[in-house]
Amino acid sequence: MTTSIASPRRSVSRGVSSAVLLAVAACFLLPLAWLLLASLDTKATASLNLPAEFSLANFSAVLTPEQTLWPLWNSFLLSAGCAVITVLAAVLAAYPLSRHQARYNKPFLYGVLFGTGLPITAMMVPVYSMFVRLGQLDSVATVALFMAATSLPMAIWMTKNFMDSVPVSLEEAAWIDGASAMRALRTVVVPLMRPGLAVVFIFVFIQAWGNFFIPFILLLSNHKQPAAVTVFNFFGQYGSVAYGQLAAFSLLYSIPVIVLYILVTKGIGGSFATAGAIKG
Amino acid sequence: MTATPTRTGGAGRPPQAARRPAAAGRTPTARRSLRRAVPLVPAVVLLALFMLGPVIWSVYGSFTNASLSGTAASSPRFVGLDNYLALITDPDFPNALWLTVVFLLLSAVIGQNFLGLGLALLTAAAPKAVRSVVATTVVTAWVLPEIVAAFACYAFFSSDGTLNRMLAAVNAEPVDWLFTYPMAAVILANIWRGTAFSMMIYEAALNDVAPEITEAAVIDGAGGWKRLIYVTVPMIRNSISTNLMLITLQTLSVFTLIFVMTSGGPNQRSTTLPIFAYAEAFGLGKVGYGTAIATVMLLIGAVFSILYIRVLKPGDNS
Amino acid sequence: MRKSVLWAAPAIPFLVLAASGCAPAGNDAEGGDKSITVAYQTTATYTQVDKLMKKAKEDFEEANPGSTVELEPIQAEENDYATKLALMQRSPDTAPDVFYEDSFRVRPDAEAGYLLALDEHLAEWEDWDSAFIDSAKQAGLGADGKTYAVPMGTDTRALWYNTEVFKEAGLDVPWEPKTWDDILSAAEKIKAAIPDAVPFNIYSGTGMGEAASMQGFEMLLYGTDDTLYDTEEGKWVVGSQGFRDSLQFISDVYGGGLGPEVATALDSNYYQQLNGEGYPTNKVGASIDGSWIAGTWLETGPAPWPEWSEVMAVAPMPTQNGQEPGATSMSGGWTLAVGANTKNPDMAFDFISTALNKDNTLSFNKDASQVPVRRDVAEDPSFTESSPVNKFFSDLVEVTHYRPTTSDYPEISGSIQQAMEAVMTGEQSVEEAADAYDDAVRNLVGDDNVIEK
Repeated sequence: MTTSIASPRRSVSRGVSSAVLLAVAACFLLPLAWLLLASLDTKATASLNLPAEFSLANFSAVLTPEQTLWPLWNSFLLSAGCAVITVLAAVLAAYPLSRHQARYNKPFLYGVLFGTGLPITAMMVPVYSMFVRLGQLDSVATVALFMAATSLPMAIWMTKNFMDSVPVSLEEAAWIDGASAMRALRTVVVPLMRPGLAVVFIFVFIQAWGNFFIPFILLLSNHKQPAAVTVFNFFGQYGSVAYGQLAAFSLLYSIPVIVLYILVTKGIGGSFATAGAIKG
Repeated sequence: MTATPTRTGGAGRPPQAARRPAAAGRTPTARRSLRRAVPLVPAVVLLALFMLGPVIWSVYGSFTNASLSGTAASSPRFVGLDNYLALITDPDFPNALWLTVVFLLLSAVIGQNFLGLGLALLTAAAPKAVRSVVATTVVTAWVLPEIVAAFACYAFFSSDGTLNRMLAAVNAEPVDWLFTYPMAAVILANIWRGTAFSMMIYEAALNDVAPEITEAAVIDGAGGWKRLIYVTVPMIRNSISTNLMLITLQTLSVFTLIFVMTSGGPNQRSTTLPIFAYAEAFGLGKVGYGTAIATVMLLIGAVFSILYIRVLKPGDNS
Repeated sequence: MRKSVLWAAPAIPFLVLAASGCAPAGNDAEGGDKSITVAYQTTATYTQVDKLMKKAKEDFEEANPGSTVELEPIQAEENDYATKLALMQRSPDTAPDVFYEDSFRVRPDAEAGYLLALDEHLAEWEDWDSAFIDSAKQAGLGADGKTYAVPMGTDTRALWYNTEVFKEAGLDVPWEPKTWDDILSAAEKIKAAIPDAVPFNIYSGTGMGEAASMQGFEMLLYGTDDTLYDTEEGKWVVGSQGFRDSLQFISDVYGGGLGPEVATALDSNYYQQLNGEGYPTNKVGASIDGSWIAGTWLETGPAPWPEWSEVMAVAPMPTQNGQEPGATSMSGGWTLAVGANTKNPDMAFDFISTALNKDNTLSFNKDASQVPVRRDVAEDPSFTESSPVNKFFSDLVEVTHYRPTTSDYPEISGSIQQAMEAVMTGEQSVEEAADAYDDAVRNLVGDDNVIEK
């Protein structure tokens, strides 16, 4: 997107705007740079410092099974379980919404949109009481179902948008062959919208991976807790002494979502797939 | 994670023709329509159980004196509107409500929204290298798990953190931000974390506007500003209202960031409604009271949600 | 990118999730081997309970082959531990079988139906009659007169001070303060002589949790002519002069720059820094704290400091103006209790009797510098010799006070911490904070249950 005509005045304002942009980027960079540099510094403090010597000691200190490996695996189980349930339910729900005109479409979509707006943190107090009554406290499977339900409104919305863009003519061929709607969905529609579904999956996965409050309240046994909760416990105990280890732990926990995000923007959808779909 | 504005076909509103399968000549009977609704069942069950369920539970629980300890834990009583009456007289409630409004307005409506719009406009005309630097840093802050973002901000604002170090470098008096200005610290932290979202929405929206208009608006100075306000902004009006609604709802939900940075303190000076509900229900064990606070928050969320739906109008084009 | 692989990958964890033991609780199924879970608190510097539990698990599993004890250490500070434990207790599926519980929560938790009455088991446990000191057994009593918990030790609180800092500030050692003013004037002298030291620490504010109420506020209030609760009337005291004077003392310390930085003092981890670094580096003058902090400096502790017994000294906390009996203290302590819904009550109790037998109690009381509640431990020469301050703290039992044993105490305690925080940050005046406390108490217990002094 470069302009062909570069008048002097234009290049001056362009320079100014670039300078402003870089200044903003620098402000955004500072806390991020701290995370990175502190993780490599055995004498890290709360302030941004260039380490006297770069070392991976912080990483090896926290890379123990109890400290990081099991919690990361728990995070993976919870997030992947949640994302699978969400995508399955969203694809099924999006199909009739996208393909048929029915009286329930509009109220359902209104309901779904309404759901996207409810503050989940507000719900945690009643959700806790409800889990107590249902005897589902500390159950990873039920927590994954709950998290799936909270991301479902957004997922249905995105999936329906993706599905709308798959031409119906292809399914019609399948229908003529006598295939049922479900079979057409499985054999024709889903394969065509794989990139879109991958976007939804990763979107839900990233959200679940980063969620702290839900497992903090609903999962109580140490061996079931995801990394979000154990890193918080670590912060509570050593946060003001072992800054380097905290940063190393934080990075280990963040890397998977950063990789997934790059995957979704570079590989699958183009960077605005997510934002675009949300935009509706 | 550079911003390459290629859009997948699925994003945005689909072309009308694609979504009406052989509509002509079909009059779906009630039975067929019911059969077709079957795939909706898993989603409906999940939403009914885990979204509608807690909402109903919240209203019900707010009328009880349920507690984590004491006799009220073993046999909670129905106390009618007592919790709501107590809310009205509790000086901590208006405090939390006010801080929530301040947090919403300053960090979302003003901070994230305007910074996001500004960045989207400026990057549209910026050289590719600059654009990718901005996108990478701003978006990374957004992609990081909330709790990691909170640690980074906690360190940044703490008394021996990066910000004070920079202040010392220019001979300014260091300030214990998390203690002296807790709201300012969490507001800035939320802007830092959330601006990427607005930026991406506006970038996508500006993409639909002819690039010359945006670019000229930025580069042509005064004349351009006018064009920005009178031409560009009206063209992305829908995106602006959608964005405002979404970031308001997201910000209303912010818990972890504040919980980690200040836990609502000191002296409740950064206790927004989610922190207040947590502290009352789980910290002090007053579950019924905390549930009443949750119900108030759900009501606020519901109002914004309805506004949001009115803006979006799903299925309006049918 | 190979999309087919990406597409298949998500299915794997889902299958694992479905197949693995992540289904709703119930691993302590009946039949065959028995198991119990034991929940307790552990922090970066408070590891003594962890050590005790690990030892007890070993002993117990050795003596009872086929039984498994699952330890569930909860890494959190006092307030957060209480929250987490309450969240677990609320549901029968997640309630631990045995847990570490602050004595002041025994009564409300018994009323909530979380605790199993232990009377029948205790009757069969010889040690309970022969070894446990009768007055200490109160800690486990419920409102209905049944015993719900077994005390692990008790504690008393007093003034700790660093003699080297005192000498440097030109103060007399040994220090014998007679009134609150003596404490403040000593702090003033330290402040003038050593500007970068914390002259005097008193825990305060919500972040410190119960430590602020007990080591902080109640150590003051019970040295005035007033109390928190009128035991005879069975009513909470509001509007008392003693309450205001105690808040005024907090305000004098923090407002007068005699304490730590307010922001630092509000951090729930501050005690680690204070005792682990501040005292050993001669950067703290004096503080009100419990007998157990010596455990920090023992060889077995988190911050060993061999010279501590020469540098650190203790003095009884004086009453406000030196009124009788001249000194004051507060006592609490922790207990072990059994969950009401345990599937293996006998095994849970047997575990407690193992964890709190003479040998284990002895080493726990030594490690954590506790005041013993077992006669045989108190009299054991290895206990009295283990620390030079053990006798001092045991003797304070003469002047000590206990917290009100009503079930609303935990919430009242929260209101005390809020009043302290409001005063120490300068947010409210002493009058305003005291009035706000009175309102909060009236709201909590009702107008009928308060008495104006």
